[in-house]
Amino acid sequence: MKGRTFALFVAPSLAMMLIFIALPLASVFWQSFHETRAVVTRTEVESCTPGFLAPTCTRETRTVPRIGADGRPVTETVFVGLDVYRRVLQTDAVAKALGAGGGGLSAILGIDFWKALRFTLTFTLITLPLVIGLGLLIALAVNNLVKALRGPAIFITLLPFIITPVIGALSIRWLFLGDGILTRAIEWVLARDISMFAQGWTIEIMMLIYKVWHVAPFAFVVFYAALQTVDQDTLESAIVDGASRLERLRYVVIPHLMPLIVFVALIHLMDSYRVFDEIVGFSAQAHVLSLQYLTYSFLTPDETGNRAVARAAASSMLTMIGIVILLVPLLMRTWRTHRSARRG
Amino acid sequence: MIRKTLAAAALSLMMSVSAQAACGFQNTVPLKSLTAAFEAWKAVTSAMAECGNVQPELDQTFRTKQPAAFAANPSLYHIGGVANGTLTPLVNAGTIRPLDDLIAKYGQNLSPNQLIKVDGKTVAVAMMVNAQHLVVREDILKELGIATPTTYDEVLAAADKIKASGKVQYPLGATFKAGWDLAQDFNNMFVGFGGTFIKPDNTPGMNSEAGVKALEMMKKLSAYMDPEFLVSESTFVQKQLQQGKIAMANLWASRLGALDDPKESQHVGKFGVAAAPKAMPGGPSSSTLWWDGIVIAKNISDAEAEAAFRVAMEGIDEEMVKANNGLAVWLIKGYTPNKMAQGAIETARGGAPNYASTTAMGLFHSAVGEKIADFMAGRKDAKATLAEMETSYLVKAKEQGLVK
Amino acid sequence: MATTRTLAHPLWLKLTSNGFLMLWLVAAIFPLLWITLMSFRAPVDALSAHPLDVIFGKTTFDHYKAVWVTHGFWRNFLNSLMITAGVVTISLTVGTLAGYALARANSNLAFWLLIMALVFRALPHSVLVTGYLPPFLNSRELLAPLWESGLTGWLFRLFSDMPPTLYGQPWAIILVLVAINQPFTIWMMRSFFMNIPTELDEAARVDGCTHFGAFWRVIMPVMWPGVITTGLFSFLLAYNDYLVTALLLDAQSQTMVPAISQFLNRDTRASDQIEAIAAAVSITAPLFLLVMVFQRQIVSGLTAGAVKG
Repeated sequence: MKGRTFALFVAPSLAMMLIFIALPLASVFWQSFHETRAVVTRTEVESCTPGFLAPTCTRETRTVPRIGADGRPVTETVFVGLDVYRRVLQTDAVAKALGAGGGGLSAILGIDFWKALRFTLTFTLITLPLVIGLGLLIALAVNNLVKALRGPAIFITLLPFIITPVIGALSIRWLFLGDGILTRAIEWVLARDISMFAQGWTIEIMMLIYKVWHVAPFAFVVFYAALQTVDQDTLESAIVDGASRLERLRYVVIPHLMPLIVFVALIHLMDSYRVFDEIVGFSAQAHVLSLQYLTYSFLTPDETGNRAVARAAASSMLTMIGIVILLVPLLMRTWRTHRSARRG
Repeated sequence: MIRKTLAAAALSLMMSVSAQAACGFQNTVPLKSLTAAFEAWKAVTSAMAECGNVQPELDQTFRTKQPAAFAANPSLYHIGGVANGTLTPLVNAGTIRPLDDLIAKYGQNLSPNQLIKVDGKTVAVAMMVNAQHLVVREDILKELGIATPTTYDEVLAAADKIKASGKVQYPLGATFKAGWDLAQDFNNMFVGFGGTFIKPDNTPGMNSEAGVKALEMMKKLSAYMDPEFLVSESTFVQKQLQQGKIAMANLWASRLGALDDPKESQHVGKFGVAAAPKAMPGGPSSSTLWWDGIVIAKNISDAEAEAAFRVAMEGIDEEMVKANNGLAVWLIKGYTPNKMAQGAIETARGGAPNYASTTAMGLFHSAVGEKIADFMAGRKDAKATLAEMETSYLVKAKEQGLVK
Repeated sequence: MATTRTLAHPLWLKLTSNGFLMLWLVAAIFPLLWITLMSFRAPVDALSAHPLDVIFGKTTFDHYKAVWVTHGFWRNFLNSLMITAGVVTISLTVGTLAGYALARANSNLAFWLLIMALVFRALPHSVLVTGYLPPFLNSRELLAPLWESGLTGWLFRLFSDMPPTLYGQPWAIILVLVAINQPFTIWMMRSFFMNIPTELDEAARVDGCTHFGAFWRVIMPVMWPGVITTGLFSFLLAYNDYLVTALLLDAQSQTMVPAISQFLNRDTRASDQIEAIAAAVSITAPLFLLVMVFQRQIVSGLTAGAVKG
């Protein structure tokens, strides 16, 4: 394909990605080094609020934003270097924690950013093997099923995957919240009162269960599709060689699935690194934070209507650096394949 | 014109058959409102909707949406429902209009007490006051021979007795939902222990003895609550009371109507109210006083603003109050305080201050809300939590130019 | 096909395998089934401490009526419909072209484009939203020069008199979601195209077709399974999105998923909670139909394309 034709075909897609992904990324990068502040003045203000019988009026000196000629508050934007990053990473607090008697690691994990990083990483790494294992088991089990029942089984299996994540999380939450049916079931089994939403670790476990429930069907459908293309000749010759079921699985089926296991692992890595909907669905923010939720919370206006855009930008950049690091091994591999493909 | 008036009159005649108050004029301008979602707002917005062409939106998270929606040009909403805290961002951003002209034209029925003034200009019209104060199950207290507590030490003692009696699942409830609600309860307790929110140089006062005492008292109270208290907002507490799961709570005055609603509550008529308990002898009632009211967006045409204001006035008129007397402590003519209103009135008499509509107070509230859950969940001690709140406040205050 | 004799399973394996599958299927469907049941019950039964009350309680449609009629959920439904349809259409059109070109080119440029797309795919969406929010809120001022300048002003004024505020505009969200979805779409389409032998388009080119002609007349007809599979993923992304739509759309243009938080937040009575559940079930129902219709295509599409790539 010639360069010009290639460019024409790729142009619309590339343009959209540049405008809506690369450009915002550049602007986020810029914002993370700058801070926009309201210009304030101190003035004497008389204000009245209702009382029970008569209004109470007070005169006091307040700091108020200066309103410009256009009726909007005047702001100034200044370059602050790495200040914002220091504030997000809370380097002072980390240094203090590492110092003598500072509390060490547990103190660091109490700081928002590090707390979010810890949760995001453990969440990603714990769910990864569970998702692949469960997906594979379901795929094998469905493959062993009589043909007539496979359709309904696939249908039901796909449901948790296609359901809206926030709603999936909500539906699991409703089963546990307060005196939800599953909480009562566990209470009945353990014969004691439990509260699933009273402490962080139970919420984390529920979120893990939810994530595996939600993503395993995706692993399943990819693996199941691939199982349909296992080379039957190899399988039969393995049987002739006297290979047991387990050996056949290990030496024929798994190697066939390997590229897909990598594919599923990769997609899952990217998706669970983005963990966010789960925290919303489980209202877990009091106990657990994820990197993406942290950015979101910076972006949500506070009681004064202000959005901490600079800190959101800095935490975004840090989040991005994290995912690039996780992806490096894969990128190297792809680069090697590409080089050898071009040479060959 | 005459025909229009006649049509409106005919319509109002027809409507007056229904129990709800009808609107005094026929509104033709499409209007939208964004308010909180508790019962008083449901009553006010449905009274406004009767004027026609009004699309009310009720949302308990209006707080985070309002600033951006009003900053858009044209504004996404015409009428906004605000309270002390939520007024601040709108005033700061200059996205609501002064109402003095409109009040002169259409506000004959307003009392001076309803006008919220900043720098001499009326920016909002209040319709009700609100405060968190004590709600108790009188029948249980009487049966156990406990007097209605007036201090938090008495609350703890009473909770102990109620727990021992096994009458309810948990003796206490509170609006301890992590974030805004929990922070508001801290503010109340902080007032009770004589704390100062903001010092004259705009630095915060939470990292002090009063702050430590407030946190510790909240921790003590939480031991008598449903362990899932960090998800417990006003509705959660309201349901706990309605279903007889708890015997005492500090709850908003605006929630009391639902407690005596036979459709919802299993214990109608058994509730009593009292002032918010004092935290220390001789101190003020541990609460802050709030108002709720109406603002009109700036980025809309004058004709729209006029229609919006007229509709709003219809929403907060005497007829609406008479039909919904028990839902709130109204500031509107025609309101007769009932037994439940005594809680808020006693709390004000007990010296609870107004919640300040200032940027600094908003930052204080946000900073407390961000960090306080760590303490309540037992992940950090009081000193460390307060220090973090202070840092968080200072970071934000610097971003907004309040402190150097 | 394998002989049944050699691959037949012993009884114990069949039992464990089927038993395990049964367990999974129950786990997969139970939460959905349960909330569906709850949505049809009066609050007393739905929130009752006794499971049997939920199962055998009196059926009521009140909550659905409240959600769809009283609270106007149909408006959110239409918004969802519009945004999802827009995203799927544009996403597939743009992505198919790019995917085809990338599958047929083996240059370094193509490689780096793909790697860039991969990194973009991995970006947490909040990173992007951070970038969108300020310009979306202030777009009227930012875009004003385009409207005022003599060169471009007349063109833009054809669409509207004044520059739009992008915040709360459904078509702006469609573009955002398409862009976010592009990396996945082009990777997926590329791997489908890789499976179509180059000889096919070469033959068409010999017959005198242009590149685009070959693509349209020869390649596309055999590409439908791939297009449907990729389209389904685009559909899910657009329909299920919470973060982007919650932050960039206002309440009036809101899609169903973020709108549900309003139901949760207006929760001041017991019936409000069941209404939230009814809204959740309403959101899930179209997805349910979607899987029913396209289940075969998902599996065969993956078998044919992505799986090998």
